[in-house]
Amino acid sequence: MRAGRVLTLSRYEIRRAVARKKVLAVVALTILLDTAPYYALAVAGVSLIPATYHPYLWVVGIFIPQAFFLQFIALLIAAGSMSEEYEQGTAEVLLSKPVSRSEYFFGKYLGGYILLMMVVGLNAVLTVSSATFVFGPQVGLLVLPLVLVVQVFSGLVFYSVAFMIGELVRRSSLSYILSSAIFFTSEIVGIYLTVIYSLTGEAVFKTASLYLPTSPVDSLPLLLAEPRLPGTVQLLFRLGGVGAVETSVAFSVLLIAAYSVVATAIAIAYFSRVDIAKKIA
Amino acid sequence: MALDGAVKDYGSKKIGPITLRVESGEIVGFLGPNGSGKSTTIRMLLGLIRPSSGSVRLMQSDPIRQHEKALAEVGYSPELPNLQTFLSPRELLDLTGRLRGLSGRALESETPRLLADVGLAEYEGYKISKLSKGMVQRLSVAQAMVGSPKLLVLDEPTIGIDPAGVAHFRSLFRDFVQKGGTILLSSHILSEVEALCTGLAVIHSGSLVYRGELQKFVPTWVGARTISVELGGPADDALVRALSGVRGVTGVKASGEKLLIEVSKEADPRGEISKLIVGSGARLLSMGYSRDELQEAYVNSMRGTIE
Repeated sequence: MRAGRVLTLSRYEIRRAVARKKVLAVVALTILLDTAPYYALAVAGVSLIPATYHPYLWVVGIFIPQAFFLQFIALLIAAGSMSEEYEQGTAEVLLSKPVSRSEYFFGKYLGGYILLMMVVGLNAVLTVSSATFVFGPQVGLLVLPLVLVVQVFSGLVFYSVAFMIGELVRRSSLSYILSSAIFFTSEIVGIYLTVIYSLTGEAVFKTASLYLPTSPVDSLPLLLAEPRLPGTVQLLFRLGGVGAVETSVAFSVLLIAAYSVVATAIAIAYFSRVDIAKKIA
Repeated sequence: MALDGAVKDYGSKKIGPITLRVESGEIVGFLGPNGSGKSTTIRMLLGLIRPSSGSVRLMQSDPIRQHEKALAEVGYSPELPNLQTFLSPRELLDLTGRLRGLSGRALESETPRLLADVGLAEYEGYKISKLSKGMVQRLSVAQAMVGSPKLLVLDEPTIGIDPAGVAHFRSLFRDFVQKGGTILLSSHILSEVEALCTGLAVIHSGSLVYRGELQKFVPTWVGARTISVELGGPADDALVRALSGVRGVTGVKASGEKLLIEVSKEADPRGEISKLIVGSGARLLSMGYSRDELQEAYVNSMRGTIE
């Protein structure tokens, strides 16, 4: 496997994903949701928020999109990565070049993932600058690089799952629907299990909720950031409805890695053995 | 390139066993009706699909297991090319060049040269989605030629291209072969195959029904051949009678200044015919085998019988 070809394909994949309007639309929506609330508050009056929270309001824009929009963007980038190439017949053209299947696979996988990192980074820059612009200097930002790394790592679960589904079904619409269904089902089942656990006290419901793919994804950034942030922020999290499932960092890391590795391995195994279809759509 | 008893079993349909070799320096026309297995054969050759049995070698390598090595010197232009519409022609050729290991000056010089060769220099910055069908076809051939491959696999390379463009591409392909290249040309345009190819492979219902020289294909699959003669004036009866007596001639039809001379497929009496015409004092403007012969031979080969 040659690094040069993998990087060429990664650059190509970033270009391809950005050219898709649906990815751009969701990125734009995320950025809007990250920044618009700060500017809305600026218009409505900064004094609506108690001054003690002002230096920590960057956490709102960093953590609230984590649970939903960043995962959804990961999913959107990955679900079409392989499937759209089959639908448009471009996989055939690329793979008729001296490019091994592993170079093609990892080039595309890496390219999409780099794009996800760029979105997370852009989200952070816009959030912190908006919070600073509206509420003055922000503090506690030393934890931000760690949070971003963890967010990107957490994004691996639905990125890999959607990538795998895109390769298995080779239809972009079906791939988006199935990947989104897994994501939403996991979120909804997680809520139900938590409610049932709080009503019955039966540990099995809590344990089951911990193993859902959304559980470590939602929890890990908070598990790592909360101890490093002051109590004011923790109060802010509770006000914003942001909370980690009671689990450990190691368990979350392990579960994220397990989901990601299994999904990626299935995709690789399938891709390396199955014929490259002509244009499908 | 060589397919040795290669079979692709789709369950409901089986292609093969196909045994086909193309040697260096040949231009081989690959003919067959829709669904006969041409694309499957090409895709097995390129390592895009695995043969269910048999073996495939491309540039002395296995195109599945040694894909990079096998494809290193092979260019492929697919039928109805689906190119990356969000890229420009220049970007597509750059991408192809990089995937072929080109960089720096080699890449910088290759892209404009190829765009000029296929007549797309002034469209280098356009999005491919904005190009006409013929331009996309031109670009598809250009991307196949990036990195100076030794073998070109071309699937209907001139569909949608204007007549002047077709002539230009034929000359481009001939130049490519003269410089030592090899071409496998899949086409439904028999005149193109006739104009370009030295060899021929014909596939029907998943099986190869002919592989050999193009010139030998027609005599194999036509019952009789027709020589078309154009004279400078009306043919007289004496000439017609004289021509009818030539060995191998089975019939002569005169129609004004034209003669249609049927000959048995084993014979080639063109020399004697021309001598007789000139000797009779008539002016011989042109003479040659009928242009429809390849089509007739092709149709007969598909039917498996000569009519």
